[in-house]
Amino acid sequence: VQEWEWGPLQSSESFNPQLPPGRARPGSALCRFVKWIEDGIPEDPFLNPELMKNNPWVEKGKCIIL
Amino acid sequence: MCRSGTGGEAGPAAGLETTGMLEQEMATEGLHENETLASLKSEAESLKGKLEEERAKLHDVELHQVAERVEALGQFVMKTRRTLKGHGNKVLCMDWCKDKRRIVSSSQDGKVIVWDSFTTNKEHAVTMPCTWVMACAYAPSGCAIACGGLDNKCSVYPLTFEKNENMAAKKKSVAMHTNYLSACSFTNSDMQILTASGDGTCALWDVESGQLLQSFHGHGADVLCLDLAPSETGNTFVSGGCDKKAMVWDMRSGQCVQSFETHDSDINSVRYYPSGDAFASGSDDATCRLYDLRADREVAIYSKESIIFGASSVDFSLSGRLLFAGYNDYTINVWDVLKGSRVSILFGHENRVSTLRVSPDGTAFCSGSWDHTLRIWA
Repeated sequence: VQEWEWGPLQSSESFNPQLPPGRARPGSALCRFVKWIEDGIPEDPFLNPELMKNNPWVEKGKCIIL
Repeated sequence: MCRSGTGGEAGPAAGLETTGMLEQEMATEGLHENETLASLKSEAESLKGKLEEERAKLHDVELHQVAERVEALGQFVMKTRRTLKGHGNKVLCMDWCKDKRRIVSSSQDGKVIVWDSFTTNKEHAVTMPCTWVMACAYAPSGCAIACGGLDNKCSVYPLTFEKNENMAAKKKSVAMHTNYLSACSFTNSDMQILTASGDGTCALWDVESGQLLQSFHGHGADVLCLDLAPSETGNTFVSGGCDKKAMVWDMRSGQCVQSFETHDSDINSVRYYPSGDAFASGSDDATCRLYDLRADREVAIYSKESIIFGASSVDFSLSGRLLFAGYNDYTINVWDVLKGSRVSILFGHENRVSTLRVSPDGTAFCSGSWDHTLRIWA
């Protein structure tokens, strides 16, 4: 009895809509990608030391002995 | 390795010869003249090959080449700022509330806990009827949570601050799959939930009526993870599964619009890039990968020879420059998304890291582990 394999048959229908053109060249897509990151870095608390100073999770100073 | 099988379940055998003829009949039902299973399978492979050819034609540059001029990142000092203790067994999933402070987590112990992560106090707790609560999510309003797992369901619990609150009494069963629930997420409102399941499908549900609004078929094995596109970029979501595929879906039509198969093992986690134009994945093949949706291809692999354990969960920092990834070797690696290099490795958990999410304002991230705890890192 031929083995019934669902996987390739299920995905066969889904490949057809993906073939038509419309893809961007990686170079141009990646350039936009890099620019998006560079524009966002100043607002990223992990990457902006000034923002990290006001991070609510980070202790403001050492423990003071009264 | 897949968690369980999916696809056609064999019924009880009444006699080998009779069963064989019945299976043959079922296998060829619905085929057109001149079509056979072999020919359909061959067509699927041919279409797959054409897709890869089209992608390869447009390949012109790698991400790290484009990012050569970008300044390298400095040293990172990131440490555990809070430890949330209270689960009695492995933490399997967590999600942040939009208020950037509350967290919901679920565990193998059958409990779902809502925490004020700032004070580490537990605000709500509910015991599910099953163990292995593998998925949980916070509603956008902050007024409800969703969870599920081995019960094959996704249930919604409203959150109140009544004195003698009985969360279990207000439970609403929304989604019903035929295998375990692996992931769930509210859409942009409290009214719809997207689910992923070990039955190989994803589904969109109306919370109020429990009605199935759309189902998504295409994975060839258990679906382990999903992530919704940022709301500005339209109605799509990405899923990953035991078939090693990441698939992007149109929520309205139910169609798969893009598919990526470059991992060598199960995909445990997928996460959209903050702009919505890309997504990252984490896999049992010990790599994380980045896929650009406009270029329709994988554009980066985050791996090292020394990293041999699977990546269970990934998320981006606010700008997308950092990729945080939790691993089965108990560590968290922090990757420079542009350069492809690791910038930090975080130790602290005493067992596998199973879940990881960056807070909504990007000031911290939370990790959950099989060591029964959650940690907030900043």
